[in-house]
Amino acid sequence: MTTLASAPEQTATAPAATPTRTRRRGARKVTSAGPLTHVLLVLTAFLSVFPLYWTAVAASKTNAELAGTPPPFLPDADLFTNIGRAMEEAPIGLAIVNSVIVAGCITVGTVLCSTLAGFAFAKLRFRGNKTLLGLVIGTMMVPTQLAIIPLFILIAQLQWVDHLQAVVLPTLVSAFGVFFMRQFLSQALPDELLEAARVDGASTMRTFWSVVVPVARPAMAVLAMLTFLTAWNDFFWPIIALTSENPTVQVALAGLGGGYVPDTAVIMAGTLVGTLPVLVVFVVLGKQIVGGIMQGAVKG
Amino acid sequence: MATVTFDSATRIYPKSDRPAVDGLDLQIGDGEFLVLVGPSGCGKSTSLRMLAGLEEIDAGSIRIGDRDVTDAPPKDRDIAMVFQNYALYPHMTVEQNMGFALKIAGVPKSEIATRVAEAAKILDLEDYLGRRPKALSGGQRQRVAMGRAIVRSPQVFLMDEPLSNLDAKLRVQTRTQIAALQRRLGVTTVYVTHDQVEAMTMGDRVAVLKDGLLQQCDTPGTLYERPANTFVAGFIGSPAMNVITGPVVDGGVRLAGAVLPVPRERLLRAAGDGGRVTVGFRPEAVELAPEGVPVVVNVVEQLGSDAFLYATLGASDDGDVLHTADLVVRTEPRSAPAVGETVHLRVREGGLHVFDPVSQQRID
Ligand SMILES: Nc1ncnc2c1ncn2[C@@H]1O[C@H](COP(=O)(O)OP(=O)(O)OP(=O)(O)O)[C@@H](O)[C@H]1O
Ligand SMILES: [Mg+2]
Repeated sequence: MTTLASAPEQTATAPAATPTRTRRRGARKVTSAGPLTHVLLVLTAFLSVFPLYWTAVAASKTNAELAGTPPPFLPDADLFTNIGRAMEEAPIGLAIVNSVIVAGCITVGTVLCSTLAGFAFAKLRFRGNKTLLGLVIGTMMVPTQLAIIPLFILIAQLQWVDHLQAVVLPTLVSAFGVFFMRQFLSQALPDELLEAARVDGASTMRTFWSVVVPVARPAMAVLAMLTFLTAWNDFFWPIIALTSENPTVQVALAGLGGGYVPDTAVIMAGTLVGTLPVLVVFVVLGKQIVGGIMQGAVKG
Repeated sequence: MATVTFDSATRIYPKSDRPAVDGLDLQIGDGEFLVLVGPSGCGKSTSLRMLAGLEEIDAGSIRIGDRDVTDAPPKDRDIAMVFQNYALYPHMTVEQNMGFALKIAGVPKSEIATRVAEAAKILDLEDYLGRRPKALSGGQRQRVAMGRAIVRSPQVFLMDEPLSNLDAKLRVQTRTQIAALQRRLGVTTVYVTHDQVEAMTMGDRVAVLKDGLLQQCDTPGTLYERPANTFVAGFIGSPAMNVITGPVVDGGVRLAGAVLPVPRERLLRAAGDGGRVTVGFRPEAVELAPEGVPVVVNVVEQLGSDAFLYATLGASDDGDVLHTADLVVRTEPRSAPAVGETVHLRVREGGLHVFDPVSQQRID
């Protein structure tokens, strides 16, 4: 019986000889790009990076220098002085820590809750599944502005004004996230995989952690990135719920460079510092977004 | 090891008015290899999933050994299942895939490793233990799926068309290997396929389903020799049995002006309805003769060892044939007649099956 598989092995590999050539030719078509594509890509990359670069340039100049023609294109050594001034004017350090906590909690909460709910909506059979999902999606149509006043009254009664939980808790799960994860899982997660786990004796929770989460990982990374960015950039609710004593980055930036003439350099310096953590998150999560993780799960 | 009993087990899918599996009665012996076979949509997968606990049972019951598992969840049934598309965990290595069930059951790490290594040896997967499923060929994935089942040493193996994603040659090889492995392990196995050749070659017994109803459950030999009705007669065997309905005359049934002899007592029992009878004969149970039922040859298929004639009943002026299907006849390749020729057929001794024209049931 040890020979059980050696024989099929040969037949499995032998007929592959002919199709490889065509397949390889097809693969090259996909992986290699022409000169025009390269030019376009370089252009796009340049356009995407330029605003950030310009922020760095502007952060290292004075208002007068920026107003000159032609505008400056190279950063200056003043950058760090300006950053220092920005840090003095507003508690940027505290704001970054606060923003990391807020955006971090919101991201973890949203990704976890959305994956759990998305899995339930996509794969579990329960009464009212469709109705509940419709209700969740329906909340997306309610504008944020509408909820602000009741929310503020609630927060004030809880005496949470100027506390971080006032910003974290209301956005701990998002309808978009639930919908996004449901769509991904209903399509990417085959029912057989869940059934296999059930037959293998896994409870629903165990199946979630051992089977669903690994499969959902790329979508979770995308959702995490989007959520983190939204939470980091959120301004409307934080400026209502928080004060400049205990701000998030966006709230702190709003207080920068004030005066008769706005001090562009300081604002830009603050913005630059406030943007860096987002870049780090992008680099870290970008690696998680690997396609084809489901490859080989089902079918031959 | 255990027996499996379906006791009038019925499954009606929600929003469906017709049962997908209708009052299934089956007794599967300890260590037996039972094959469920039937055309697409006949309820094979549903029956298997009912046994696995993946599908509710709306009426009747299912027992594994002496235990009633009708309402038990899959994990309490001590079964292992091989899925049609293998359903391997994509993020786990072959080793982790095979050991997952044991890990959940809380088996110590060292024992998991031993049992996985054992299964890997049987299935010749030792070189692939560290690989992910996506780095395996279809045949290797199929073996991992088998390995995942045998590692657990369950009471019952359930397999739902495990070979349908393999190419024809590999399928034939793997078929014999699975059958041999099952015999070696002696684990009761329920195997689903829509391929009657697979069913006949692998099963100790074969259960034929149609529209959710069990047609016949018997050894491959009996299914072939004594099909219980015209459906089984047509489903088992390749090319299919010729089944024709014609009017009863003295001594037999009249086909294309000639009389095909049918034993008298069977004829009497069959001829209730308007004096007609349904007869069946396999392509290999017919021979060319100087006298007999005349047929016109349309196609001659030379296979080397055999030749198959595809023919229609010869012209008859009284229009007495009620069922004009194509007939298939196996002949010697060297003496095969030419296309367009009219030849006469005679059914060999014991090669004739008689069915009731209304109920389609076999008459002996
Ligand atoms: N989840 C479901 N909901 C409703 N009807 C279903 C469901 N699954 C199967 N059916 C129906 O039940 C019947 C039996 O299906 P089943 O999957 O058991 O067929 P099968 O014999 O396995 O066919 P195949 O050879 O094509 O796999 C079919 O008519 C099918 O349409
Ligand atoms: Mg099926």
